[in-house]
Amino acid sequence: MSVTSSAVFLLNVETGETESAELWDAITEQQLADWEAEWIPELLGAIRRLHRAGVPRHAWPQSRHWDWRKKTATLTGMLAHPAFSLVCRGLTQGMMILDNTTKRCRLPAQAGKNMVYVEYVENAPWNRPELFDPPRYRGVGSLLVRAAIESSRQEGFKGRIGLHSLPQANTFYARTCGMTDIGVDPDPGYSPMHYFEMTQEQADAFVEKGGKS
Amino acid sequence: MRIEVTRDWCLHMAELEGDEEIGAGSLSVDPTFDGESLTQSGAPVVAFGRFVSLMRRDRGLTVEKLADDADVDVAELVSVEEDSRYKPEVRTVYQLANFFDVPRTTLLQVAGLTLPKDDRIVEESVRFAARSEPVDALSREERAALEAFVAVLSEDRTKDPSLG
Repeated sequence: MSVTSSAVFLLNVETGETESAELWDAITEQQLADWEAEWIPELLGAIRRLHRAGVPRHAWPQSRHWDWRKKTATLTGMLAHPAFSLVCRGLTQGMMILDNTTKRCRLPAQAGKNMVYVEYVENAPWNRPELFDPPRYRGVGSLLVRAAIESSRQEGFKGRIGLHSLPQANTFYARTCGMTDIGVDPDPGYSPMHYFEMTQEQADAFVEKGGKS
Repeated sequence: MRIEVTRDWCLHMAELEGDEEIGAGSLSVDPTFDGESLTQSGAPVVAFGRFVSLMRRDRGLTVEKLADDADVDVAELVSVEEDSRYKPEVRTVYQLANFFDVPRTTLLQVAGLTLPKDDRIVEESVRFAARSEPVDALSREERAALEAFVAVLSEDRTKDPSLG
C-alpha cells in the first residue's frame, strides 16, 4: 500500500507546545494494531472507571462498539472509501474513513450535489476529554475535518462534506467547524444522531479560520 | 494525497477545538467487538481462572514465573486463578492470550470482559470448568479437557484480528 504522509502538528495539552505529527492518507496495519493494542485497553479501562464512578450507561462513549479492523476491511479496500489517520510519537491519534461516491447533499442550497461523506471518525481514547482529564492532544478533529475538505476539493466537490455526529460531538461540528445542523436524521438507523453538512463557503471559512494555511 | 497546513493553522485550530469531542459515524453495533464490560453483572467466570491455572501447570510454571514471563502482575495472577469473581485488567488478558497463543478477543469473552458473541464459547467454558479441578498435577482428563478447550478457543483463529 502506498501511503502519502503530510507534516502536521498537534497541541500537547500538558506542555502547551505543538508537536510534529503525520497525516497519512490511509489506515494501515500499524493503525489497526494500535487500535487493538493501545486504544481498546484504554477504552475499556476508561469505561470501567466510568462505571465504577456511577456514570450512567448512556453517558459512556458511544463509539465503544466500533471495530476499526472490520470497518477498514469492509470499506477501505474500495476506491470510493479513502481513509486518513494521524500519527504522533509513533502512535495513532485519530482515524477517519470517507465515502466520496454514494452520498448526496441535503441542504436546499446544494441539494443533490456530490460531496464527501465522513463514514467514521474517532479520536484516540487518551485524546478524549470525556475519558481522560486532561486529554493528551488537541487538534485531531480539526485536522481530520481539514483532510475531508481537501479530499472533497480534490474530487471536485469544492469542500462539501457531510456526517452524522455522535451526540457529544454536535458542538464541535456546529461551532468549531461551522457546519449546518440539519437536525435528527429521520432514518431510524441514525436516530438520534444529528446530520451535519458543510457548504463550499463553510469549507472556505473553516480553512481560513485557522489563519494562513 | 498531500495536504499543506502550517504550524500556526494547526495550533490555532487546536485551540479553537479545545476539549470538544469529535466522533462521527453510525452507532450501529459492530458484531465482532462490543467493548462493554460485564463487570456490572458480577457473574463468576470460573473457566478463565481454571484455564490460566491449567495452562500454567501444563507448562510446569509457578505463578511467579508465569507472571514474570507473561509480564503481568503476580498478585493479579493469583486473583485470576483463585477468585472466580475477580475481573482482570484487559492488558492482563491480552498478555496471557499472547503468552498462551490463543485469540485475545475470545479470551476476553471467557474472562467476562466483553460480551460473548458465540454461545458456544459460554457453553464450552462451563463444560471446561466442570471437567477440570485446580489440583497440583494435571490429570489425563484435565489435559484432555484443556486441549479440547484450547481447540475451541482457537477455532476462530483465522477470523480473529488479534492474531493478525
